[in-house]
Amino acid sequence: MAGWVVRLSPLLFLAALAAVWEATSRSGLADPRLLPPFSDVVRVLAGLLQDERFRGDLAVTLSEIAVAFAIVGPLGLGVGFFLGESLPAYRMFAPALHLLLSIPKSIFLPVFIFAFGIGFLQKVIFAVTLAFFIVVLSGIAAARSVPAGFTTAARSFGATRLQIYLRIYLPAMEPLIIEGLRMGLIFTVTGVLLAEMYGAPRGIGRVIFAWGEMLRMRELFAGVLLVVVATIIGNEILRSIEEFRRARRRGLR
Amino acid sequence: MTARELIAVEGVDKTYGSGAQAMTALEGVSFSVREGEFITLVGPSGCGKSTLLQILAGLVPASTGRVAIDGAPVTGPSPDKVGVMFQDAWLLPWKTAIENVEFPLALRKVKAAERRQRALPLLELVGLASFAERYPDELSGGMRQRVAIARCLVQEPRVLLMDEPFAALDEQTRTRMGNELLQIWEKSGGTVVFVTHGLTEAIYLADTVFVMGTRPGRIIERIAVPLPRPRTIDMIGSEAFGRLRNRIWHLIAEVRT
Repeated sequence: MAGWVVRLSPLLFLAALAAVWEATSRSGLADPRLLPPFSDVVRVLAGLLQDERFRGDLAVTLSEIAVAFAIVGPLGLGVGFFLGESLPAYRMFAPALHLLLSIPKSIFLPVFIFAFGIGFLQKVIFAVTLAFFIVVLSGIAAARSVPAGFTTAARSFGATRLQIYLRIYLPAMEPLIIEGLRMGLIFTVTGVLLAEMYGAPRGIGRVIFAWGEMLRMRELFAGVLLVVVATIIGNEILRSIEEFRRARRRGLR
Repeated sequence: MTARELIAVEGVDKTYGSGAQAMTALEGVSFSVREGEFITLVGPSGCGKSTLLQILAGLVPASTGRVAIDGAPVTGPSPDKVGVMFQDAWLLPWKTAIENVEFPLALRKVKAAERRQRALPLLELVGLASFAERYPDELSGGMRQRVAIARCLVQEPRVLLMDEPFAALDEQTRTRMGNELLQIWEKSGGTVVFVTHGLTEAIYLADTVFVMGTRPGRIIERIAVPLPRPRTIDMIGSEAFGRLRNRIWHLIAEVRT
């Protein structure tokens, strides 16, 4: 019972938020021209989703996210795994890594535009750059989370190096890998939208930004609502995979 | 008892690092173990007993000297001949008890049906047949080590190398596990090298106790245990046992100072 309440609590929270939003706007507490009622925004969003042009923008953004994520996931985890496994490599690259991690990447967006234009490629490269470091850190943490005892024991059973990686490391690192991918996805989405808002021919970020400039608040909120809901869904999917696997591996299922 | 020599260690040194920072873990270690013999290596922490066991297991190379098991030099792990157990069971938490026992066979690509056929009797042997489908975090420390014993035996090794396998258990469980190990050993007729820092455990289990000293790690005495088999708990209180225990205690204490 209590478990279900906890499980549904994000939805309940969102429902409450929507209700407050609706009430604030309808009662005139907030200017409906600045904060259109929730129900209006939902109606506008439904209309937008029918719109050919908007769907095209959506497709551009989603494919940018997909390509960037498909690159940064394996790349970041691979580099992280290598750094986590090799102490000399870690000593060599860790200072640079932490330095680069601390820099706000968005400040370099103009440079990315000079270098790569404002097209698809630039969105992907920027999102990969933004997400790369956080995924690398996850990869390092994942590699280091495997206790040396597992490896020693497996070696004593005659496991080859490949068997140790595939049958010990991979399953042992799984929770941290999924967690790293989840963080990577959040950063990838942020990177793509940010780059689109800064300058792009197509894409949701570009469209939302334009609506904001034109004070088309209903469309603006509809776009924001769509991004928020989509991100939450994507995040929850990865999180439930993680939880499902964790429950299964512990034999609680 | 057959007098055939199964494990031969000759002049083994182990040094970590080099130059001024070199640390000698073992120096001039030589001994042999007959087939079917149960020996214990006992000594204070830092005497290199675990290192010695890892060298026997082929997990760590010796710096100099020669180690041979059944006439063949040890150059790496040989799971068909040698089973190794550690202080922690290192059971894979995402596998059930029986899957953990099967794991060494799975690495050798033994078919699933045969794996099960070989693993189940071993879980029975250690009294855990009804826990076959449980995960490690549902088992007590003693049960996990029992699973580890079964996993050790699944490849039918001739030598068991055990590195303080019961050190993390409470005293009652430790004593019970020792007795169970002796029963399994008497039934299987294997050869056991058992590392411990517990003097009582070292004497109770062994045919021969090798006492080790520190800085550098070396064997300082080889003591035959004249107690009859099977061993019983009452023997621990006997005068002969007490004398042995005192002797080993003094050997270790003298070397330390």
